[in-house]
Amino acid sequence: MIEVAALMIAPLFAGGLSLVVHRSALLHAINLMSMGTLVAAEIMITRTVLRDGPFTALDQLVYLDALSSFILFIIGAVGLACSFYMRSYMDEQVARGMIAPTRLNLFFFLFHMFLLAMVVATIANSVGVQWVAIEATTLATTFLIAFWRRRESLEAGWKYLILCSVGISLALFGVVLLYYSSLHVLSDVSQALNVTQLLPVADRLNPHVLKLAFIFILVGYGTKVGLVPMHSWLPDAYTEALAPVVAMLAGVLEVVSVYAILRMRMIVDHAVPSGFTGGLLVLLGFSSLVTAALFILIQHNYKRLFAYSSIEHMGIAMIGFGVGGPLGTFGGLFHLLNHAFAKSMAFFAAGNIHRRYHTMEIGHVQGLAVAQPWTAMALMISGLALSALPPFASFASEVQVVTALASQGIPGMPFTSTGGMVSFALSDQFSRVGLATVFLLFAVLAFAGLIYRMTRMVWGTPPEGILREETWTLGHLPIILLAGALVVFSFFLPPPIRQLLEQATMLLVIQ
Amino acid sequence: MQVLSYSGSQLVDLCSALLLLTCFAIVAQRRLSACVDLFALQSAFLVMTAALVAYLTGNQHLYIAAALIGVIKVIIIPRVLKKVIDRLNVKRELVMYVNVPAGLLICGGLVMLAFFISQPIIPLGFLLTRDSLAIALAIVLIGFFTMIARQKAVTQLVGFLVLENGLFLGATAATYGMPLIVELGVFFDVLIATLIAGIYTNRLQDAFDSVDTNQLTVLKE
Repeated sequence: MIEVAALMIAPLFAGGLSLVVHRSALLHAINLMSMGTLVAAEIMITRTVLRDGPFTALDQLVYLDALSSFILFIIGAVGLACSFYMRSYMDEQVARGMIAPTRLNLFFFLFHMFLLAMVVATIANSVGVQWVAIEATTLATTFLIAFWRRRESLEAGWKYLILCSVGISLALFGVVLLYYSSLHVLSDVSQALNVTQLLPVADRLNPHVLKLAFIFILVGYGTKVGLVPMHSWLPDAYTEALAPVVAMLAGVLEVVSVYAILRMRMIVDHAVPSGFTGGLLVLLGFSSLVTAALFILIQHNYKRLFAYSSIEHMGIAMIGFGVGGPLGTFGGLFHLLNHAFAKSMAFFAAGNIHRRYHTMEIGHVQGLAVAQPWTAMALMISGLALSALPPFASFASEVQVVTALASQGIPGMPFTSTGGMVSFALSDQFSRVGLATVFLLFAVLAFAGLIYRMTRMVWGTPPEGILREETWTLGHLPIILLAGALVVFSFFLPPPIRQLLEQATMLLVIQ
Repeated sequence: MQVLSYSGSQLVDLCSALLLLTCFAIVAQRRLSACVDLFALQSAFLVMTAALVAYLTGNQHLYIAAALIGVIKVIIIPRVLKKVIDRLNVKRELVMYVNVPAGLLICGGLVMLAFFISQPIIPLGFLLTRDSLAIALAIVLIGFFTMIARQKAVTQLVGFLVLENGLFLGATAATYGMPLIVELGVFFDVLIATLIAGIYTNRLQDAFDSVDTNQLTVLKE
């Protein structure tokens, strides 16, 4: 299982090496090599999973199936894009004096540790180890968020550290409760938190304890996803963090946290009727969608705008998972992928804009199409993709989610389970259509807010003193590739990705 | 054997109750350094509880966990926090969002809530430690409350550590400890989190000339 070991050794080795290397070019080379190894290992793992199904490795410590391979794919793709983008971005930050040259290796060290923690959280067999790794992502990123060391960044970093640490402590209580329930059923105590041990006996676990455990886990990891009402750290952190770091936070960390919730749900749904977990997910999904859409309308800072858009899209994915069924689950997973691509692209564009205009106020940015044509294009494409317009893949996934919502309704609502009587059937249909209408209404609100602000930035004439040309750098490559992927995926999903998505959906749906 | 298990269960309950008692003391305490001392005392009670459960059940790995709590939470973390406090220009917390008597009253209510929530799942537990789960939940809630009610970064941090103590009591009491690899990871995370928060507190002091978290209002809508 050399590829599984490579997944962890590559970032670990690169992180250690970054601490002793000081030359910028060398640091970037190490980073790219480590990411390359990671992606190669992921491709090998995906092939194995698609051929032979789920497998464990390293003495039961690692468990890989289609779902975790899919998450690994997102980590690898966005991570590689970030690594290319960092090449020009970080050097300019150093040249402008925003970051001291001596602290560049610290940045890379923390970046690699962040990556390592996310990989471990994805491949861990034990939900306890998964918890440890997710808490480790908080610790690795808190200094990355405060890397500018301004007052604002310190504030954002402190809020992030405290809120996420507390949130995730609640998730630990959920893990303790899960362990508590499994002790009565499993004989081998030392493995009683392993997914491979829990899944076969999940239907014999105590449902009351599992319900309590799921609530704690949902609140805990939901804080890291940024679901409303646990989201208050997210806009601050996304505003203050460096562009490549935000791209990783928004594109990957949110996905990994969603994955942790889904993993838990796979176990809980065996013992508890799935309406319970589904209903909770839909509830949090709607609260996130509605709140974020309203806040998008009043934003005047473009990074905050994207932050609220992240909350909105995580809400949409949660609604997809909550409604469930093959369509809703597939739509939710596909939406995670599309959002990761579109949002990392949006933050790359935001980073470019900030470098040129030195402001985050939307009102002060004008004439982007003249000043930075490439970035303007990237901003528009990511904005349209985030508004879920065709021909972008996010349109397809959002349609899947809303179709599932309109046809299946919320699981666990009292009148959906008591069909048969005419009045009940009517109210059932009424509620489904009503919910889908609410969903579409707020999606349109978010779309309007996003597009209105973006067109303001793109058109017009740039203010005095803003350079009006954009030279090609390595940082433009990932933007082009991500934009291409977003368009291509809506017409044609490459077979390995489609198979991964389908098999992951099967894992989540089939009881 | 019956007698031993009965008195053992009483002893574990006593230790858990002592942990809860120190929580109330922390809520009532305004001096920052005294809060840290009380946290160290609470961690010492946690060591006792873990060692007692380890002795009564024969779970060897709980001894390792108890030793780690002793080193990390009784010795290292309080020393780090004391160093942080030495650098601050305030030693007492004068303004709180909730005053002490009201805070104590709320904590009393939280204890009742914790017992109410865990009532249905307590009968499933092992005989020895069944009541401790409710106490653990109460400590978690009180730690949570402390973080909300206090303004100083240091006391918020103490609240977080109390919450962690509650979690660990829960893990020890309800399940005789988690698998060792998980426990080691949790300790590692808590230690690093405290160190990072300590560094942050220093930087907040330098940047804002205060560690009042209600001064952190630059970022808002």
